[in-house]
Amino acid sequence: MKPPRETVQTDVLIIGSGAGGAVTAAALARAGRTVMVLEEGPWVDPDALEPFSLEEMVAKYRHGGSCAALGRPAIAYAEGRCVGGSTEINSGLYHRLPPELAEEWQRDYRIDEFTTDALDGYAGRIEAELGVSRLPGAPPASSAVLERGAAKLGWRSVEFSRVFRYESNGLAVKQTMARTLLPAATEAGAQVVADCRVAKLVRDGRRVVGAACEQTMPDGSTRELFVRADHVFVCAGATQTPALLQRSGIRRNIGRGLKMHPTVKIAARFNSPIDHGDVPMHRVTEFAPGLTIGGSASRRGHVALALADSDADYADALAHWEHVAVYYAAIRSEGSGRVLALPGARSPLVTYNLTEGDMSRLARALVHLGEVLLAAGATELYPSVTGGGVARGPDDLVQWWDALTRNAANLMTVHLTSTVRIGENRERTGADSFGRVWGYDNLRVNDASLLPEAPGVNPQGPIMAVVARNTDQFLTEA
Amino acid sequence: MLWFERQVVSTLMSPTLDAGTRSAVESYVATTLHSMPEHLRAGVAAESIVLGSRSWLEHRVGRFDPHALPARLDRWRSSKIDPIRQYVRLLHSLVLFAENEFAAGAGGSM
Ligand SMILES: Cc1cc2nc3c(=O)[nH]c(=O)nc-3n(C[C@H](O)[C@H](O)[C@H](O)COP(=O)(O)OP(=O)(O)OC[C@H]3O[C@@H](n4cnc5c(N)ncnc54)[C@H](O)[C@@H]3O)c2cc1C
Repeated sequence: MKPPRETVQTDVLIIGSGAGGAVTAAALARAGRTVMVLEEGPWVDPDALEPFSLEEMVAKYRHGGSCAALGRPAIAYAEGRCVGGSTEINSGLYHRLPPELAEEWQRDYRIDEFTTDALDGYAGRIEAELGVSRLPGAPPASSAVLERGAAKLGWRSVEFSRVFRYESNGLAVKQTMARTLLPAATEAGAQVVADCRVAKLVRDGRRVVGAACEQTMPDGSTRELFVRADHVFVCAGATQTPALLQRSGIRRNIGRGLKMHPTVKIAARFNSPIDHGDVPMHRVTEFAPGLTIGGSASRRGHVALALADSDADYADALAHWEHVAVYYAAIRSEGSGRVLALPGARSPLVTYNLTEGDMSRLARALVHLGEVLLAAGATELYPSVTGGGVARGPDDLVQWWDALTRNAANLMTVHLTSTVRIGENRERTGADSFGRVWGYDNLRVNDASLLPEAPGVNPQGPIMAVVARNTDQFLTEA
Repeated sequence: MLWFERQVVSTLMSPTLDAGTRSAVESYVATTLHSMPEHLRAGVAAESIVLGSRSWLEHRVGRFDPHALPARLDRWRSSKIDPIRQYVRLLHSLVLFAENEFAAGAGGSM
């Protein structure tokens, strides 16, 4: 028998502890508000597990990393599920929102006070607090590959900043939320509760009165908890935020408009061994923001998967996996998708439709990625296209234009956004210019769901800036 | 993990793995299948039942030959029917990732 439901009270309830939830929690707790953060996933010491390892996937990824948006083709995606959310498992690559997108979104969605100056102000503060910086010293070989390939082709490439601090002994420490803003929030009085999943919001007219939760106790048993709150921020990420709202009966423009950066990959073999411990910091930005080229996690497991995606004979390449690294090309897609909570199920159905234009952009992306890698000295390229064919020279890349079909493309993404969307254009948005959900006085969304479109760059920076702006506005109001 | 899924996983594993690693790989695949979204897990289970019905019947009458499975998996891998191809691809990816991650020095030496 389940123990009776316990009720607790807070001023501000924040659901989710990732990029959105942590920024919100730290700002509100520092402003003297009584804050409670509920996180579905466990607390995992940020130093305990090797980045991108199988153990990390099991402990910190939603569904152990095995998840896909259905469509033709299906697109595999990954999200964090632990204290700190996806910031615990991401690569920490950092970018501000490009000014032209801020202008476009402001215009198309009629977002009030959404200027590049204002957003950059918030971004600057976050960067200073977290420590966004470049690698001191020369980049590792896997990153230099992109710089070298781009230089040979006369294309632009950039070494990206990362949300990392570099210690005097050279150690690079990713500034995840579990390491930075969540401890800061706790120090300012916030309570962070791990292993506590919000099942549903309870509404009364135009107000949300609280959240019905299921908390998993250290002995594995569960208890029901009801958290009463004066204000609720849903920061559960781009798939879980709309699912929670829908489960709670809040559906207007919620879950539509899902955007992502669909990604193709190449496992590239070189003549000499290449590093595998980190993710390359260089990006080829020649075609940005429509198309970006970068490097992925390349542990032995990732190399094996990327080689197998081509369906070519990869035994010899896998035997020499230390000479192989995985690279990607991601597009800004004009297609879109949907998140739909299914009655009785814990996980929502996620779908995504790529347009014909997206398919040809992906083919172009794959060919450009191949060009850079060959220019950098790669000797064999295995594309994430079933039957795509191994490329050993520029002439072999031509076949990929036709090979990348809906049946053959093996795509993935780690950037999901836009399932609620902000702005005064009520036809297209689920929340007002500052994230307050239409129809509710005390319910706000503050995470990746709010971005009206995919940002074309790594989203954590833009998400944090928008979230910090919304939180500031909340403080002037409530 | 269903009976047929266990047969497929065992077939897809590299024959050179020791018993301990085989069992760790199988347990990883089982955990991952278990934690998939319900609708995706239901789809995979339904395919396992349909694709595995013949093998299961053979198993019930003591005639299941695991050596016949690799050829069948090879055919499914290049099937024109997307869900069949994806079924093999999913299980193969999980096995491949795990057996390579459980190998010594999976994070690289440089
Ligand atoms: C592998 C990977 C690599 C990435 N690399 C980069 C990168 O290099 N640079 C970059 O800018 N971005 C990167 N990203 C994306 C970036 O991390 C995300 O866009 C960002 O963290 C999203 O912030 P969020 O607050 O919306 O969601 P998240 O950070 O995902 O946080 C949401 C949290 O809410 C919790 N939650 C969900 N539902 C509930 C519920 N019902 N009750 C309680 N809690 C709940 C989740 O468990 C999760 O912890 C990467 C993402 C991944 C997965």
